[in-house]
Amino acid sequence: MRPTRKIARQARLASVLALALGLIGFAGPAAFASAAGSASAAGSASVTAPAASRVGWLRLAHLSPNTPAVDVYLYSFGDPSAMIVLKHVTYGTVSAYQAVPVGDYTVAMRGAGAPASSKPVLSSTVDVAAGKAYTVAGLGPASGLRLQVLKDRLTTPRGKALVRVIQASLQQHRVTVTAGSTVIARNLAFSSVTSYQTVTPGTWNVHADGQTSSASDRIQLAAGTIHTLVILDDPGHLAIDNLVDAAGSRVLPDGGAATGFGGTAGVPASSLVPWLVTVAAGLLVSAAGIARLRRSRRAALHAR
Amino acid sequence: MTSPVGRHRHLRPVSRPGAVAVLLCGLLAVGAGACGVAIASQSGRPAVRPAGQPKFVPVPRGKRAPVPQPADSGNVARPTRLIIPSIGVKTRLVRLGVTSSGALQVPDAVVVAGWYTFSPRPGAIGSAVIAGHIDSFLGPGVFFRLRLMKPGERVYVRRADGSLAIFRVTAKHMYLKSRFPTADVYGPAPTAQLRLITCGGTFDSATGHYLSNVVVFATLTR
Repeated sequence: MRPTRKIARQARLASVLALALGLIGFAGPAAFASAAGSASAAGSASVTAPAASRVGWLRLAHLSPNTPAVDVYLYSFGDPSAMIVLKHVTYGTVSAYQAVPVGDYTVAMRGAGAPASSKPVLSSTVDVAAGKAYTVAGLGPASGLRLQVLKDRLTTPRGKALVRVIQASLQQHRVTVTAGSTVIARNLAFSSVTSYQTVTPGTWNVHADGQTSSASDRIQLAAGTIHTLVILDDPGHLAIDNLVDAAGSRVLPDGGAATGFGGTAGVPASSLVPWLVTVAAGLLVSAAGIARLRRSRRAALHAR
Repeated sequence: MTSPVGRHRHLRPVSRPGAVAVLLCGLLAVGAGACGVAIASQSGRPAVRPAGQPKFVPVPRGKRAPVPQPADSGNVARPTRLIIPSIGVKTRLVRLGVTSSGALQVPDAVVVAGWYTFSPRPGAIGSAVIAGHIDSFLGPGVFFRLRLMKPGERVYVRRADGSLAIFRVTAKHMYLKSRFPTADVYGPAPTAQLRLITCGGTFDSATGHYLSNVVVFATLTR
């Protein structure tokens, strides 16, 4: 009699445990599946397009005062047909930058209107690296014309502007250039180029002073911008040409942008485990309660 | 050593109200646990992915902005509208600055994009920046489909003088905000370029922010 009751109790306990485990076993995989689903949704958002960083930039300039207009040809190395042709480029002209694939290029100058098949007056090669910018300039007097490849900067110190000077005036052989009280170029000789100088951003009175002539201009040099000032011969006097080499933001924001509130983001399901444990514990306590109830009833029967 | 049976015999008496209380406690726990299971199993939600066709937006018409020349900088009208037919975007542009903590200000409304006024104007030489929300608390924002943009697609910016600056997408990248490439996005560029910024990647519900930014790079067409 007693051993049977003991076995019955153990069986009851086992069935309660089995029920609890069964609940966990049933709901557990569902919770796991929903968590995995949201994880894969987040993972598939990490897309990256092929980078377009394998380009550099080239621009062409005619800065030789007594050289007549020219046609400028740009050839990709080994390709006899010109990639770009700029017709009738006159003194003082600087083209916009052209994005070109990384590689070697030849720049050739011919007299304006000369056939493309004719021998160039002048040519030079330039090796374009990824993300770099170059100015290929015809510099010097007509008798000593040369093509010079200038490396152009594309980064500024934080909160600063950069400026350099190209001295392309033949009338004034030496020119001093100032921005406010800052000397950017001192006695710069004809056909020479300064390196970039760091300047405090602002709108400056820029002066170019030669021996017998001078020029001035109000020029804004904003933070995050890079300029080249070209000193040119205007008939009878000097002129300052302000070229923007590159421009970025005047103020650099910190970090990324808070451009989302999550209304379309996946939300992982909260865990079922604590609740299943509560159910299992409740079942065990209930079972204990039932056992005690039976025992108390038996005790009452015995007492009668 | 006493047998279990003998020990039982001496564990008397069991009070009936006590037993009932234990039983009720147990049933209460079962009920609470079952409710918890029911609620928790409904709490997850998959991410909303862009599906189907975007809203139809026609290609805008107007005078095309010229390529800016290095010597005539700074004379470009301010941007007023952004049109991206491939992802169904057509919005006015608000003006954005920086927040008191130095971060990029974002539009108050999730249905409009904004031009960062410390960046060059779209169509001028340099890297113009436009930002917009991927979503609100409830649903998609103006740049919900930005992540779907592909190289070669066009982006149109209408300016105050009515002209259109037309950009071609060159690249799209996703960056962790903790490793945001400030120089690449906001730094100087030698040609007229555009960056479109929104959020992406995993959403951190603890902070209420996405962990990454999606940035589309575009360049003015000739």
